[in-house]
Amino acid sequence: MDILAFLSPLFVLLIIGGTLVGIIFGAIPGMTATMAVAVCLPVTYSLGLENGLALLLGLYVGGISGGLVPAILLGIPGTPSSITTTLDGYPMARAGHGEKALKIGICASLVGGLVSLMILYFFAPTLADFAIRFSYVEKFLIILFALSVMAALSSDLLLGIFSGFLGIFISLIGTYDVTKGGNGEWRLIPPGTEYWLEQGFSLLPVLIGLFGLAAILDEAETGMKPGLGGKGVDVGQHERFSLSIFRGQWVNLIRSSCIGTFVGILPGVGGSAASILSYSNAKTFSKNPQNFGKGEPAGVMASEAGNNGLTGGALVPLLSLGIPGDSTTALLIGAFTLQGIQVGPLFIGNNPVTWDAMIVAMLIANVAMFGLMYFAIRYFAMVVTIPKHILFPVILMMCVIGAYTINYGIMFDVWTLLIFGVFGWLMTKIRLEVAPFIIGFILGPSAEVYFVKTLESFGDLTIFFTKSWIAVFLWVLIALSVGGSAYLQTKKKG
Amino acid sequence: MGSLTHVTINFETSHLIFPTLIGCILALLGLAIAIRDRRQLAASGAHWRKILGEMDKMRFFGTLALTVLYFSAMVPVGDIWPNTGMGFLLCSIPLVALSGLLFMRERSARSVVPLLIVAVAAPTLVWWLFTDLFFLTLP
Repeated sequence: MDILAFLSPLFVLLIIGGTLVGIIFGAIPGMTATMAVAVCLPVTYSLGLENGLALLLGLYVGGISGGLVPAILLGIPGTPSSITTTLDGYPMARAGHGEKALKIGICASLVGGLVSLMILYFFAPTLADFAIRFSYVEKFLIILFALSVMAALSSDLLLGIFSGFLGIFISLIGTYDVTKGGNGEWRLIPPGTEYWLEQGFSLLPVLIGLFGLAAILDEAETGMKPGLGGKGVDVGQHERFSLSIFRGQWVNLIRSSCIGTFVGILPGVGGSAASILSYSNAKTFSKNPQNFGKGEPAGVMASEAGNNGLTGGALVPLLSLGIPGDSTTALLIGAFTLQGIQVGPLFIGNNPVTWDAMIVAMLIANVAMFGLMYFAIRYFAMVVTIPKHILFPVILMMCVIGAYTINYGIMFDVWTLLIFGVFGWLMTKIRLEVAPFIIGFILGPSAEVYFVKTLESFGDLTIFFTKSWIAVFLWVLIALSVGGSAYLQTKKKG
Repeated sequence: MGSLTHVTINFETSHLIFPTLIGCILALLGLAIAIRDRRQLAASGAHWRKILGEMDKMRFFGTLALTVLYFSAMVPVGDIWPNTGMGFLLCSIPLVALSGLLFMRERSARSVVPLLIVAVAAPTLVWWLFTDLFFLTLP
């Protein structure tokens, strides 16, 4: 690994700065790591790929970790991934052990991040080497599998599948790209909009709209209630923190980190599932399950190791298959696209410096997150008091910059932001799912090329079932995810 | 069976194959959802009335109106001083100030003054950062 090729003071500063801003975003209820990445993406336009990724990965790690601050101090998860941290962290804070709970969470976050980073480092290249042999048939089926997993994890299977296909449909608006083997003809463009929609909707304004503006509209709809809800922030008395609290908990930490990483590898499952699964496993295997929910440190450890385990895991499918593991990594695709780099099985082999830079950036981000939060936790605790009426207008302004500068100054991209901001808000009202929609939107054009080119070459639909054992295996996985979800949802209703 | 699964692709019309397929799948899914959720769909009027009833209309529609106004004004204002990003700067200051006031729950001098400082400082800092430091185009 030629570290000197990219390791510069700016690289390290960007990671630390990104982690700091990410923690602040994560610590404010209603703001997420995804929003942090969306808002700060324009800053990377003028940075090189490695430096840009350094900032974004810092934001990602910081954003996921910062959620534990309000979860413990206020009982409000700062991000969905810290939802189970509230169960034991908040009772600890109420008993006067807020600082201790925060430090347990910070240490567990570090372990989760490092374990997932190790898995990413060893597993992603292996998976990529395997995926290089995939033909268009297997690539198409992987996209279908990613969509089926996401739809299966939706609160409603049918609406989840519909959302995924809707994302694909909208991604097809525009020209059938000649560079990807298309015929250069337009389709699905409403009359009168040809000038703007010739290239379809740009990815980043769509993402910024769905994650940035939609969140602002959501808050506006509910009246911008103050995050503190009238409660004050009490970190508790200063206690001497000893690592001896982790004695006997290493199995819990490692297991939770691995669960988080595995959940991250599944496309679009998200941090809340990672922490819930880790927490429930920790409770099941605990000698004192009755203490969970009443201020049990093992619960905070499991939840935080699990959600930070997600960070490395979500990068595995992105860097080895080109499929984002969660909404934040979907935004990273935008950063790669900006620099003209396509993620997929060839990415690691063709871009060794970028790959090394990402691993080093994740390592530094995790250490920076630990250092910043552990030693300055009392200051971060005050972040939750920043009023939303100051933050959200600034975020709205940053969303505009992100959308406008993506294609070097096209106002239609700003209107796209508004269209998809309103659409994202509407989606929650009609129970459509954002995650499958996004994956469908990102992977739709690739799915089209794989599907049409396969039929052009083989001329028979049965090829999707008979091409290889991998194709058959993927169909089994698709059937299991959809069938299993349908069974569970029917059982739940019945 | 072989003829049923056989497909011939005409390159001239190949741009329509996938959108048509996805459109058909969407229509089928939509139909399935409509049949399954027919009672909820019939009662959708009440659903939207409930959403509108519980909504903070002033803040929600105010945000939308300010956003549309902001987007619409940026380019005309920017055209007065082309290639300087002044459209962004001069429109962002009132946007941050007005939307901040809109979002604020208790408007007192103690909370308005910091907001006004942020409304001037944040857009100016961002404008300087992107135009002078990163050399990016702003409206």
